Amino acid sequence: MRPLQATALACQRLPRIYWALFLLVLAGLVSTPQFGTAANLANVLEQSATLAILALGQAAVIAGGMIDLSVGQLVGLITVVACMLFEAYPAMSLPIIAVCLGLAAFVGLVNGELVNRLRMSPLILTFGMLSILQGAIFMLTDRSVGQAPPVMTFLANGRIAGIPASLLLVAAIAVGAWYLLQRSVFGWHLLAIGNSAESARKAGLNLASRTRTAFVLSGLCAGIAGLLVAGRLGTGFPNAGSGLELDSIVAVVLGGTLLKGGRVSVAGILGAVLFLGVLSNILNLLQVPAFTQIVVKGLIVIAAILVDRPREAAAA
Amino acid sequence: MTMPLLQTRALTRRFPGVVALANVDFAADGGEVHAVCGANGAGKSTLMNVLSGTILPSSGSVSVAGQEVSFASPADARAAGVSIVYQEFSSIPELTVADNIYLGREFHGPLHTVDRRAAVRAAGVLLERHGIALDANAMVGSLGVADRQLVELARALSTDARILILDEPTAVLSIAEQEKLFGVIRSLREKGLLVLYISHRLEEIFEIADRVSVMRDGALVATRAKADLTETELVRLMTGREVSAPHPPEPIPAGSRTVLTLSGLATDGSAVELRQGEILGLAGLVGAGRTSIAHRIVGLRPRSGFTAALDGAPLPDDPARVLEAGVVYMTEDRKRDGIFGPLAITSNATAAALKRFSSAGFLRLRRERAAAGEMLRGLRLVAASLDTPIASLSGGNQQKVLFARALMTAPRVLICDEPTRGVDVGAKEEIYGVLRRLAGEGVAIIVISSELNEVLALSHRIAVVRDGRITATMDNAGLDEHSLTVAATGVALRSAQG
Repeated sequence: MRPLQATALACQRLPRIYWALFLLVLAGLVSTPQFGTAANLANVLEQSATLAILALGQAAVIAGGMIDLSVGQLVGLITVVACMLFEAYPAMSLPIIAVCLGLAAFVGLVNGELVNRLRMSPLILTFGMLSILQGAIFMLTDRSVGQAPPVMTFLANGRIAGIPASLLLVAAIAVGAWYLLQRSVFGWHLLAIGNSAESARKAGLNLASRTRTAFVLSGLCAGIAGLLVAGRLGTGFPNAGSGLELDSIVAVVLGGTLLKGGRVSVAGILGAVLFLGVLSNILNLLQVPAFTQIVVKGLIVIAAILVDRPREAAAA
Repeated sequence: MTMPLLQTRALTRRFPGVVALANVDFAADGGEVHAVCGANGAGKSTLMNVLSGTILPSSGSVSVAGQEVSFASPADARAAGVSIVYQEFSSIPELTVADNIYLGREFHGPLHTVDRRAAVRAAGVLLERHGIALDANAMVGSLGVADRQLVELARALSTDARILILDEPTAVLSIAEQEKLFGVIRSLREKGLLVLYISHRLEEIFEIADRVSVMRDGALVATRAKADLTETELVRLMTGREVSAPHPPEPIPAGSRTVLTLSGLATDGSAVELRQGEILGLAGLVGAGRTSIAHRIVGLRPRSGFTAALDGAPLPDDPARVLEAGVVYMTEDRKRDGIFGPLAITSNATAAALKRFSSAGFLRLRRERAAAGEMLRGLRLVAASLDTPIASLSGGNQQKVLFARALMTAPRVLICDEPTRGVDVGAKEEIYGVLRRLAGEGVAIIVISSELNEVLALSHRIAVVRDGRITATMDNAGLDEHSLTVAATGVALRSAQG
């Protein structure tokens, strides 16, 4: 293959959201001098880490043609549980992290098993789980509680060789997600199921096992995101995860993954998370009032998805 | 005598309300093409689904090469050497030919990754060896139906199957493609494979099969060598009785006017006219385009290529306005686009005529209920209550409710697509009675049916459909199942060659 062709192909494969990101960054550089500073850009990256991890987990479920609405409240639960446990057992940071990740994976497992066994729509089922988790959080506490272990604070705010630790964590998870969803047999089967569950069943794929694994991955990512949030806030805030489930879905879809399943792009998701992060950063720097920001964010998300639609229509 | 390659004993499969397979003892050998034929609903597809692991039998056993097997999934069946090519496509349009062929049996690279290049190489070799002209890198969604069929075949071949099941493989193929397929099938037979060939095109069966098994009402009624079988005999076995002309329908009342005129639909250029009180049967093979004609008449699809006129005035394009004009279509697929499953019987019956039961934007529930009750009593609906969800009714009773929905609109033209599909024998006769009564009241009716005896029992005239066009129209006098079968297949073949 000649170099020119290779370049053309790479451009073609670059998820479209990067063009929007590029334009947005240009707009940021033009509109406010603070935007381009290294400190600000590092800040954007750090703030985007939680959503990136959550969206990568959500992507596994969406790739298979399903959805997981429970991840936001799962983030909240893990945040609260981790901080409460650390306050009670300050010497046990690492076991607490293990317990929290195990709990998050278990919630994912329950989601997957219930979808499989009750043959329920994942939308309804995980909405039920959202409600259950939200209730559980407020049964534990109705205010900020406990304290985050230092390991988690470091993960959220610390640097390794000058690079934000959270960024390294996101990079590791992204590589894992890219391998699992875009290279491994598991991901291949998941995408086939997302394209056509009936065809996949006829081809002899194990739908139940793939579904279960996808939800466990989503739960696990929510767990990691929850630990990160606890580290950032330093304490267990019961509302920490509210609304994150929708943000994660928006990031997945903005990144060029089909909401109906069957196609996934880890690079696209990372681009979409950055797009959302840069957007709210610029709005903050321009001192746009918070509620106006929410409206602007909504409008831009709708516009971005409209622009991306021809590709989806062509695939349908 | 050696052990048959494939054998079933007392194989039975029940579905709620239906015995789809009843004590089937079936045997077939390697190196033969074994046709399995029967009317629609005879149990062919159920048998093949059991043999390919898609559904479990209720009782009975299956053995391959003398070994009893139990297939819990298609993967089990494939491991035992049984592969199926489905009638409806099961390939994934968004993947390439190679990806589809090896879906579920991917080539692995390092770290359990999917090696798509290896799949492309293997697919290339496979396609080449069997003389199938397909690009392994092509997206399946970009292929025509015939090529998609070949993808399915290639997928089945790629498993090194000993037993290959082809379910109506030629339904969508042209003559040239069909010959190519037959070439592949013959070479498979020479390699010692058992090819189970499901079809109801008699000519094909006589061309390709070595032996023929006939199914009827879920039972296996006969297995014969092709040499011991004539077409007449085969039709008799399929239908279960001596072929005789069924009693003719009541004559059309004298002086009835033309209601519906379809111009440009017949291949000879003439207009097809439907009179008050007349029943026109549309006969043709599955996939011939009968349903497409019905959809185009009522505006569910663009009416390209022909015009439809009611009382001389062109029919509107919008389906809702066609319905208002008095032309009603009853679907062939009740479950998918007929019933509103969770809704009550009443709501289902009145869905197309709500205007009649509303004033100032409010539904008059009592009036709605009274009208539905009266209409359904007339159709002899059997149900505990009119508030029951329609999904809980039997197929026959669901169909009666859909008849009620159609009749509520006081139709002038009624198009029934497979009116007795999935309906038991008793309800079938009642539905025939309803159709005859409506015709007697002056409604013009088009009946689409894959059951030839149904078309013969109901129609005044019969139109043969091929490729979405009407290739011949005949008076239903002196026709029997045999001559109609020859017309549907023979006429079709000749017109396709010409």
